[in-house]
Amino acid sequence: MTKKLTRRPSRATLLSFAIIFAVYVLVFVAEQLLPATSMLFTVLKKGATYALVAVSMNLLNGFTGIFSLGQAGFMLIGAYVYAMFTIPVADRASVYQYFDGGVIQFALPWFLAMILAGLVAALFAWLIGLPVLRLKSDYLAIATLGFAEIIRAVFQWKELGPVTNGSNMLRLFPNFNSFNITAADGHVVVYLSTIVPFLIAGVCIGLIVLLLHSGYGRAFRAIHDDEIAAEAMGVNLAHHKRMAFCISSFFAGVGGAMLAMYQTTVQAKSFTTAMTYEILLIVVIGGVGSITGSVCGSFLFVACSEWWLRFLDNEQFIGNFQVPLLRNGFRLVVFSIIIMIVVLFFRRGLFGTTELPDLFRHGRKESALK
Amino acid sequence: MLWNTVFPYLLSGVSVGGQYALIAIGYTMVYGILRLINFAHGDVFMVAGILMVYAVASGLSLWITVPMVLIVTSLIGFLIERTAYKPLRSAPRMSVMISAIGVSYTLQNLVLYITGGLNKTYPTIPWISDTVEILGAKTKLVTVVTPFLTIILVVLLVLLINRTKVGMAMRAVSKDFETSQLMGIRINSVISVTFVIGSFLAAVGSVLYFTNYPTVIQTSGAMPGLKAFVAAVFGGIGSIPGAVIGAFIIGIMENIIKGLDVILFKAGLISKPLGLATFSDAFTFALLIIILLVKPTGLFGEKATDKV
Amino acid sequence: MSENRTVLSVENLTMQFGGVVAVNDLSMHIDEGEIVALIGPNGAGKTTAFNCVTGVYEPTNGQVLFCGKPIARNHPAGKIRKAYAGKDPEKYLADPVRLSPDAITSLGIARTFQNIRLFSGMTVFENVLTAMHLRRKSNFLVQTLRLNGAEDRAMREKTVKLLETVGLLDVADEMATSLPYGKQRLLEIARALATEPKLLLLDEPAAGMNPQETEDLSRFIVDIKNRFGLTVFVIEHHMQLVMAISDRIYVIDFGKQIAEGTPQEIQNDPVVIEAYLGGGEDDEEVTIG
Repeated sequence: MTKKLTRRPSRATLLSFAIIFAVYVLVFVAEQLLPATSMLFTVLKKGATYALVAVSMNLLNGFTGIFSLGQAGFMLIGAYVYAMFTIPVADRASVYQYFDGGVIQFALPWFLAMILAGLVAALFAWLIGLPVLRLKSDYLAIATLGFAEIIRAVFQWKELGPVTNGSNMLRLFPNFNSFNITAADGHVVVYLSTIVPFLIAGVCIGLIVLLLHSGYGRAFRAIHDDEIAAEAMGVNLAHHKRMAFCISSFFAGVGGAMLAMYQTTVQAKSFTTAMTYEILLIVVIGGVGSITGSVCGSFLFVACSEWWLRFLDNEQFIGNFQVPLLRNGFRLVVFSIIIMIVVLFFRRGLFGTTELPDLFRHGRKESALK
Repeated sequence: MLWNTVFPYLLSGVSVGGQYALIAIGYTMVYGILRLINFAHGDVFMVAGILMVYAVASGLSLWITVPMVLIVTSLIGFLIERTAYKPLRSAPRMSVMISAIGVSYTLQNLVLYITGGLNKTYPTIPWISDTVEILGAKTKLVTVVTPFLTIILVVLLVLLINRTKVGMAMRAVSKDFETSQLMGIRINSVISVTFVIGSFLAAVGSVLYFTNYPTVIQTSGAMPGLKAFVAAVFGGIGSIPGAVIGAFIIGIMENIIKGLDVILFKAGLISKPLGLATFSDAFTFALLIIILLVKPTGLFGEKATDKV
Repeated sequence: MSENRTVLSVENLTMQFGGVVAVNDLSMHIDEGEIVALIGPNGAGKTTAFNCVTGVYEPTNGQVLFCGKPIARNHPAGKIRKAYAGKDPEKYLADPVRLSPDAITSLGIARTFQNIRLFSGMTVFENVLTAMHLRRKSNFLVQTLRLNGAEDRAMREKTVKLLETVGLLDVADEMATSLPYGKQRLLEIARALATEPKLLLLDEPAAGMNPQETEDLSRFIVDIKNRFGLTVFVIEHHMQLVMAISDRIYVIDFGKQIAEGTPQEIQNDPVVIEAYLGGGEDDEEVTIG
């Protein structure tokens, strides 16, 4: 029983680390060898972004049992904070053209801006959480969804234009391509535009995993399993729920900043409820309560919607025979049907509650979270 | 002369309120029985709009298309329940809610595929599209018709629920799902009837709504759907009169806010427009959060007791 | 205990749900080191009384003191004022107190549940470890970054010890809900002990156990009481267990206290026999004890 006394990683954990490391190496090598325009990198970049957001949602919905639908709102805050604070001073006049260059006249390094994005999102979560977290299940869901809509409106308000640029687009801030190392003539020497988002998402998800396996993480899971028992065992519900809500929002904010980098532009009107639904569906496909599931689900979701099912959107001919139904939008129809099949018939999703290391353990799920 | 500025907004508020009410009833009835937020309901409303576009484009007379759209929409509601919710009867509530979100996603994508993602112009329906003048404000007749039609339909619905056998069954099921099952009520038929009624009313709402806002696209149902849901919560979810009153309040408030800049300006309270119309949607949600915090069961909701 | 220090004192406790008076003017006290049982027919209000002590319910009237400190104090107000059917509505008008269940637990009251409420997504080991959460000193950042090695190690050691005590160490890695019923009850006790309580509340710990298991449980309760220096307050139907371990017994019926005394006194109390037999007309043998 000595193994229970320390948190020394087991063989399965080490093996998992090795796999994750191999994936990173592969991504890095592929980026140097394959053309930068390959669809693969679009999928990897967006997939990494969504993976982080999906894991942050899973932390709340899957592990703590708080059904929140405010994810898009916190991503919006993150994206805006990141964009507002990183647009180079020289470009501000053109971006904030209707607001005399805006009020912010400095630029932070991307790294600081990203952390700030998370912190501001967490701050909003704290304020929103004070009243909203008292609500139960579906009422909480609808209230958080409402907050996301309110935030979206506030950021588009023209009176806030000098800060948020109103309903106009924010652009020209550092994006993923800025990570590439270029020679003096503009030629890219080392491609880093995919590996850096992988690293950011990896570090953030790693922190979430560590949190979940700590005392606080267990307290969150206790709330998920049985609120009354958790309270009776000394878990302060209000405090821990608010904490989970803020932490989840922090990472959603960072994810929003990553999304801004991926898209290269930010506009409040794109952070709709549909975006939250998309992330929720990723969590469900991966398995509610599995970090590994959320990560794999994200890449699968993005790959299917952006890449693998693309052929369904184009008219195809086999000889002279035109394959019926194939035209613009069919991909999404097929995709929705796949999702409905998962939701209805594979309710555990891809992974259920299993994690990567569990796959290397034989027999039952043995002290998975340790 | 402030009244002349406010009145048109008030008028369209009442009209939109009536349309929200027709959607809200579907939400509130389904929630009353299944404790499910049927996120797909707003999309059923949108689908009704699209059906109308295509039905009229096929050249059929309105005497056929309107009833046909109402019937087909009801049928869609029925099918959604049977395929997406019934298999999850014993699953946790969150699974059913996710399924509802999935259905919403599917309906939107299906319509996107069919329409090619283009705005479709809603056909002009004679008579209710006619312009009339009331107390100096010009508006379409539908604005005037909506509140009356809504009230008539609600009265009929309340009669149905209070006077008929199926209505009694619905009330029983919403009070206690398990027990009414044990008492021999055929739960599945009751639930189907609920969905059919809800979808039918949403279809009526869509005819009225899109006559006023005559473009339909796959996302057209999302916002009205959410607002109608908020109306249902506001009025006390599960309560039909509550949903109707909530819907009228939200419709009116929302339109007043749309015109708030103009109204405040005319009243001399502000010197330049503040762009407050941006908040017409957000306001609805703010109202929702306030009511949830002050009176979580809504205006007319019953207090639910949790057993520890 | 020579000094007889009072650990828990319940004064004029009344709990009313609408017109239903579940607990009616209940007063009782538990001294340090005692094992006190609360018995009564089904629906007598025993669990409700427990829930008032542990902060799950806010009592309608009366107060609960733990080691002299008020943990719940209330007087009928608002809607319930009119329907109030208990005594002394004015007695506790001064500053109402309502501690949340977790605050009460951190003061040193731990409980088990009648209908077992283990954390179903966790192993046996994690269930116990989770209950130590409130005794942690480190904040979430320190814990996430694993800078609390010593604290964590100490807690894991303690968890192992506790599981050893209740004899569940060999199943530490099983999912809690996969255990047989009797072991789940033991795990609930271990989990409660992990919060480091002074007072342990057991809600029907022997429910669903066979006579042999019940006898083992009786010995076990006395054993942990001595080992951890506990005071124990138990609700139970198994008279065999109650009579074997209790120092004193309170009997309630319809929310009202009908008797109090040592096991011998209770066994011979005609009021108690009447309550349990509901009239006592038939000559069926009564086996209280």
